[in-house]
Amino acid sequence: MKTETLRTVVDCLIPADEFPGAYESGVCDYLQKLFATDLRDEAAFFTIGLDNIELEAQARFGEPFVGLTSEQQTITLEAIQQGDVLTSWQISPQRFFEMLVSTTAEGFYSDPQQGGNRGAISWTMTGFEDQVDS
Amino acid sequence: MKDYEAIVVGSGAAGGIVACVLAEAGKHVLLLERGRELSFADVGRDHLRNQRLAIYGHNAGPELNGNPRVFVDPEGRSRIVRPHELDYHNNAACVGGGTRVYGAQAWRFHPDDFRMATKYGIPSGSSLADWPITYETLEPYYERAEWELGAAGDGRTINHQVPRRRDYPLPPVPPSPQTLALKKGAGRLGWTTTPVPLLINTEPYQGRAACIACKYCVGFACPTDAKNGSQNTVIPRALATGNCELRTNAIVASIDVDSHGNVSGVTYFVESLAERRSVRSKIVVVSGGAIESARLLLNSRSRHSPLGLGNEHDQVGRNLQGHLYPRAYGLSTTKVFDGVGPGVTIATTQFNHDNEGIIGGGMLADDFIKPPIDFWYDSLPPDLPRWGIRNKQFMRNNYTRVMHVRGPVQDIPNPDGRVTIDATVSDKWGLPVARLSGTTHPATVETASFMRERGEEWLRASGCEKVWSAQPGLILSGRQHQAGTCRMGRDPKTSVTDEWGRVHNHDNLFVVDGSLHVTNGGFNPVLTIMALAFRSGEYIARQI
Repeated sequence: MKTETLRTVVDCLIPADEFPGAYESGVCDYLQKLFATDLRDEAAFFTIGLDNIELEAQARFGEPFVGLTSEQQTITLEAIQQGDVLTSWQISPQRFFEMLVSTTAEGFYSDPQQGGNRGAISWTMTGFEDQVDS
Repeated sequence: MKDYEAIVVGSGAAGGIVACVLAEAGKHVLLLERGRELSFADVGRDHLRNQRLAIYGHNAGPELNGNPRVFVDPEGRSRIVRPHELDYHNNAACVGGGTRVYGAQAWRFHPDDFRMATKYGIPSGSSLADWPITYETLEPYYERAEWELGAAGDGRTINHQVPRRRDYPLPPVPPSPQTLALKKGAGRLGWTTTPVPLLINTEPYQGRAACIACKYCVGFACPTDAKNGSQNTVIPRALATGNCELRTNAIVASIDVDSHGNVSGVTYFVESLAERRSVRSKIVVVSGGAIESARLLLNSRSRHSPLGLGNEHDQVGRNLQGHLYPRAYGLSTTKVFDGVGPGVTIATTQFNHDNEGIIGGGMLADDFIKPPIDFWYDSLPPDLPRWGIRNKQFMRNNYTRVMHVRGPVQDIPNPDGRVTIDATVSDKWGLPVARLSGTTHPATVETASFMRERGEEWLRASGCEKVWSAQPGLILSGRQHQAGTCRMGRDPKTSVTDEWGRVHNHDNLFVVDGSLHVTNGGFNPVLTIMALAFRSGEYIARQI
């Protein structure tokens, strides 16, 4: 898995504001674990998708995804979400993107025992827990 | 020589009660449960693997591997599904069955729910029928379920729709900010409301503690054991008599018959020993839930019943139904979430019947507390981007401001929504698995649309500045409210059992669970399942 790409991508999906973004809250750890266990069979699919994000970034802006401006990153991800891709994909860009968005949200919003949502920060953010008591 | 007077297959909402009633009547009972006993820790608090949100697994059985079903989609394509997938239509497989992890809404059906065909006529393509019994027949048994398991509610506010002789033993759950807003909104519309009845100890009851208002009710186990299910009420009572043996991890393969075709007992697998055992009894009661009960009858074939027990007229497994749930959401200008569980507090039964141009209707209520990931999957407005800063800020600003209204609508049954036995796929015991096919009737979708609009109307009247909603289309609706597959009736050509759950033409074979429901009400069905179990249990005890 391209960890640098993944780190940047998940922070586009759930960016930092006064509360941490996806990466800082542990979403990449969640995803590493998930694709080694329950979604083991989808790990290759997911890796192809991440590689294709890089190819799309290069094709559009001639730079790796991490080097793009925030606006260019958004344009690239929106294109993939809509299946409006410039490069050749062996997999469905939309299906990959849906998996990417859902699993990132799972890492950010589900229970910290899953590997993400460090310090149950999203539960404080949403108001689900006034303080961590579970 | 019989080993037992009765064997009960399944320890869920119905099986636990039947075993208890028989054991307390002095009958020697074997209660077989395919799952195991689950402790609070076993059930856990995994937000992605629970009975309510089961993305990668669930927490109440059966095991993900070795227990497949086959699902046939509306286009006729079939595929193998595992227990945590939606199309599996899982309930649970553990001691207590679904009651181990349910939300425990304790609704009685409406008197008109028992006479839908008479009231509305029979829609084309449907198998809508009246029950062979009335609300009045079942009323004393509803009362028994409420008092013996422990229900909390306010009988005065429900009485206008569903008459009752006796109030609930426990006071209702307290109101939340959302309750007050919805009550005001209903008042503006001229609708009546009631606290939601729940099988939850709002005060200590029968030696167990009160609810501590945690955020994990539906889909999870109760930390103080204040949620009343079979596992902590009727099954302990049954065992305390000394007349009931509970065997877990016992997978019933078939109901056995003697050389005359009379039911003689069952054969089951003992999971820990990987061995088959046959036991004999005077009476067999099947309480495995609408899918597994039908499967067991259909898998019990002999030269006397080549199509499966009770299936002479090809009725077993038909009319599979559950509930479609329309749901509406509204953005309140103020915080409505106070973190006090269970979260479901207020309902209206204004629209359960007598809606112009609509068959049936349903109850609408607010919702159990949703963990944030459940909220993210279920409750966001459709015009909100699925990712990016706007999505995050909506979660941040509005998780505590979104009001939720949802409810089950009358499912109009049809014979093509059904359970059959798959010709090629077997479980790990080599037993042919359930094959699920068909959809609900189109009239159900119309009723759901009508109720969805009522949900939106309620939220707008309750001061929500933005309202959105969703509902299922023409799908199979079994799932946790699964019912109807061995419906009771007078005519053996159109039903499977008589009004007691006795399988037509079989003196000593009973089905007692949601399978019996002719229609499934515009309410959560569990209290009706329990009431029928008390009634049938008493009757069966008299037969032994």
